[in-house]
Amino acid sequence: MTRRNIFILSALAIAYALISLWVGQQAYRWMPPQASAESVLVDNLFSFLVTIGTFIFLGITGTLLFSAIFQRAAKYDYSDGPGIEGNITLEVVWTAIPFALVIWIGVYSYQIYDQMGILGPMDHSAHGAMGMAVAEAAPSEATVAEESTPPQIEVRARQWAWEFYYPDQNITSTELHLPVNQRARLLLSSEDVIHGLYVPAFRVKQDVVPGEEIDFEFTPIRKGRYRLRDSQYSGTYFAANQTNVVVESEEAYQDWLAIAAANSPTAAENRAIAEFTQAEQNPISLGWESVKPAPAPVVNYSSSEKDTYE
Amino acid sequence: MNPLLQALLENWPVSTTNLDTTTTAQGASAAHAGHGGHGGHGGHEEEDHRMFGFVVFLLSETVIFLSFFVGYVVLKTGSGDWLPSGFEGLDTQEALINTIVLVSSSFVIYIAERFLHKENLWGFRAFWLLTMAMGAFFLYGQAVEWMHLPFGFTSGTFGGTFYLLTGFHGLHVLTGVLLQGVMLGRSFLPGNYERGEFGVAATSLFWHFVDVIWIVLFALIYLWR
Amino acid sequence: MSNASLEAAPFASSGQPQPGAPDNWKRFFSFSTDHKVIGIQYITTAFVFFLFGGLLAMVMRGELITPAADLVDRTVYNGLFTMHGTIMLFMWTFPVLNGFANYLVPLQIGARDMAFPRLNAVAFWMVPVFGVILVASFFIPGGPSQSGWWAYPPVSLQNPTGNLINGQSLWLLAVALSGISSILGAVNIVTTIFRMRAPGMGWFRMPAFCWTVLAAQLIQLFGLPALTAGAVMLLCDLSVGTSFFNPDLGGDPILYQHFFWFYSHPAVYVIILPVFGMFSEIFPVYSRKPLFGYKIVAVSSIIITVLSAMVWVHHMFASGTPGWMRMLFMFSTMLISVPTGIKVFAWVATVWGGKIRLSTPMLFALGGLVMFLFSGITGIMLAAVPFDIHVNNTYFVVGHFHYVIYGATVMGVYAAIYHWFPKMTGRMYYEGLGKLHFALTFIGANLNFFPMHPMGLMGMPRRVASYDPEFAFWNVLASLGGFLLGVSTLPFILNILSSWVQGKPAPANPWKAIGLEWLVDSPPPHENFDEIPVVISAPYGYGLDEPLVASPSGELASEHN
Repeated sequence: MTRRNIFILSALAIAYALISLWVGQQAYRWMPPQASAESVLVDNLFSFLVTIGTFIFLGITGTLLFSAIFQRAAKYDYSDGPGIEGNITLEVVWTAIPFALVIWIGVYSYQIYDQMGILGPMDHSAHGAMGMAVAEAAPSEATVAEESTPPQIEVRARQWAWEFYYPDQNITSTELHLPVNQRARLLLSSEDVIHGLYVPAFRVKQDVVPGEEIDFEFTPIRKGRYRLRDSQYSGTYFAANQTNVVVESEEAYQDWLAIAAANSPTAAENRAIAEFTQAEQNPISLGWESVKPAPAPVVNYSSSEKDTYE
Repeated sequence: MNPLLQALLENWPVSTTNLDTTTTAQGASAAHAGHGGHGGHGGHEEEDHRMFGFVVFLLSETVIFLSFFVGYVVLKTGSGDWLPSGFEGLDTQEALINTIVLVSSSFVIYIAERFLHKENLWGFRAFWLLTMAMGAFFLYGQAVEWMHLPFGFTSGTFGGTFYLLTGFHGLHVLTGVLLQGVMLGRSFLPGNYERGEFGVAATSLFWHFVDVIWIVLFALIYLWR
Repeated sequence: MSNASLEAAPFASSGQPQPGAPDNWKRFFSFSTDHKVIGIQYITTAFVFFLFGGLLAMVMRGELITPAADLVDRTVYNGLFTMHGTIMLFMWTFPVLNGFANYLVPLQIGARDMAFPRLNAVAFWMVPVFGVILVASFFIPGGPSQSGWWAYPPVSLQNPTGNLINGQSLWLLAVALSGISSILGAVNIVTTIFRMRAPGMGWFRMPAFCWTVLAAQLIQLFGLPALTAGAVMLLCDLSVGTSFFNPDLGGDPILYQHFFWFYSHPAVYVIILPVFGMFSEIFPVYSRKPLFGYKIVAVSSIIITVLSAMVWVHHMFASGTPGWMRMLFMFSTMLISVPTGIKVFAWVATVWGGKIRLSTPMLFALGGLVMFLFSGITGIMLAAVPFDIHVNNTYFVVGHFHYVIYGATVMGVYAAIYHWFPKMTGRMYYEGLGKLHFALTFIGANLNFFPMHPMGLMGMPRRVASYDPEFAFWNVLASLGGFLLGVSTLPFILNILSSWVQGKPAPANPWKAIGLEWLVDSPPPHENFDEIPVVISAPYGYGLDEPLVASPSGELASEHN
């Protein structure tokens, strides 16, 4: 390794590192708004991964490009190149460094996961933890009731609508409303097939499995209306199984609860049912037979498809 | 003859006249012939690779049984009380008798192989036939048990896994007995063993495999409460 | 000074009709037991299904170029994405790689054929059978399976028509048959590699491609039975009414996911390992340098096989798996990048400092390597549980795996087709068309699949026939890329067909490569070698003075003349 080579390699490494750091910062812009406490942690992890990934990509692709451009055989030269079969030192280094890198990335990811407090089925959330996302499935045990924690909102998934039930006020809604900066506690259940509760702005996702009741928690930190999508393929109108989440101040939240309670339950608009009905009425069948959508949720408050969201 | 059928017959674990094979199979010990294979010596293209291939195939078959076993364990431990209503439990007595018969038949088939190795064809045929009888007895016992059970394939997860496991295993027992029948028939062909005893060795190995599977199955389904 | 020449190979023979020769086309429609014929049968059959699966993708991209579900009915779209995935995996990727394994392994190890030639033919002829079953499912009432290629219950158990014979049951039947065919093939290939290597070819003189094929086939042997078990149980639930996975009857739908992924994760290594082997064969030839660190590269294939069995739960991070399970599988998943990284670095070191020739196979291999590298990086990201929770089941994952499957596997297969085309058919292909094909493919693939990453990050779910308007921009780009990919197959088809019929006759060793397959005629004679060669050195001896084989007369002969 000549001095000159060491200099060139170092210069390249530094250049790549700077570019990688810059790209890592850009990574935040590729994500939805940070509407939950969890999203901040996830985005940090993502930025870290993008930085490392960019560095590796630049290093290897750069080397290959250089070789492909500047190390070509002369036009009529079909002779062999140098008969280099290996180099033990190099091979050890490029096994050890990735191994160490994997450990580093794994440990950092574990720390993020831990801070998010994502627990699994049969685990119980640490009371008073720094409000992060939690997923549990408790099919046969009752979760310990704690007075000071907010009540669980029941999320009922079906083909193809979302219904939210607020037990304290005994109201139902097709739009999820949550007070900002308070731990949201949900109880997920499905009436038919596996669905997925996914709010990109919160960076949280949990499959909703029929036959199980799954505890799920996270903490919204930013007011606004965000998209909630079904993330686990659930049949014909899966793509239409979407609604919104509204994060609002405590006062606005209480106001909304009151408004909803004052409404008598009516059937909500449902895209799947609308399309299915139209298809049934069409004399020419354009597709194959579909599962019939479940009846529209009958709710105190229904959202509109025309609402804008971030 | 239909070429597909011909190919199937010729690759069946029987001694055939058209394959280029030499006599290398030696009963159950041929099961270990495959290990540490390296390209070694000239003329290896006449070596018999069928036992190696058959062992590889059996190892793969083992995984499908293991998968069913895992499914059984998970479904059993995941549900509290999964026996169909009104059903107290399986009768271990009958199944134990069947088990003893089947496991003993492994020794019987081994004896048959020893006779063949010593070129005592009638000794071989006698014990081979006895093995078949014991296998048939097992199948008969299984069928009788099935007929007397008050639950069916669709009676909950227990019913499903019970019939799936015993049925899939029973299918293998039946296959084993049929293979033994073919081997028995072939033992009457003159010059059948000139190119080795692969067919008999493979059928015998298959039989041991079926027995071991049954032992695990018996423990899981009948003994474990 | 050239240490290679184009003169007749020492083991050449002539006269008899040769398997790949253009005048021999009838052989490809027959029940032949010649591994070379079977190999070509696998490859061409697979390619036909590749085009069909690609056609389905074109329609999908046509639907997705606008946010609304306005091109085809939703049930049709769901059938399209289900069958696109199913066909691409079971009718294209597995068979085409089996085809290359079939064709190359006996030649590369110095054998006359596979261990069980008739079994080989049986395994192949099952492929058109289950292919027909899958295509037929489009035409029965209710249409094909619409539950995704994973067929998760309870969706896969819903059966709206109520018929006993429905798209889902045909799908399960086809997948079961495919499993049997693959297991038979695996038994054959594993036996062949263990037992039929030429004299002198110890394990560490065997080409890397054979190592990777062995590693892949071992996975098929331990993984497929688990999938078969799950499929059998699902079929029983669907057709007979058992309750293995049906939650209404006390079953466990998550158990199915475990069965499914226990095979289907290792399956992705089945898809990529032989391609790694192809890269390992191709880079040395077009760099004129030995494969760097060949022994470690060979062993890393087996390490990948072993590790591949321990990572499957990373497909279920959002299913409700317990925290400890998520962490365990996160670490095991990330660990696989180490043996994989060893290969990537080895290829870079092979290319570095060599005498590079950017022929079509080399272009595809380099392009494939770069795209694979990108997908490996997104793969590590996906392994990180907190991040995966966000992007699981979004287009980020779709982008990731298409970079692997199209970027690495398809491009690797193209590289292999060009590289071994002269050997298989006895003709040279047109280099200009080959380079055009590469350019269109590389641009098309990146244009189609790169936009899927931002789509996913922003939260667009996968398998959707319609989407929210904010995703439109990236979808338009992706669709344009998709159409370009469709177009890119045209120069390839033109090249292959016209070259096969009227290309320049190919010599035994057009690339001056080192390997047993390059010692025989193009195409090889019926039994490959007049005399089985005796191997006397390690593979990839470029720039070194060691002949590969002992000459027939016993004198040391240079492999190159």
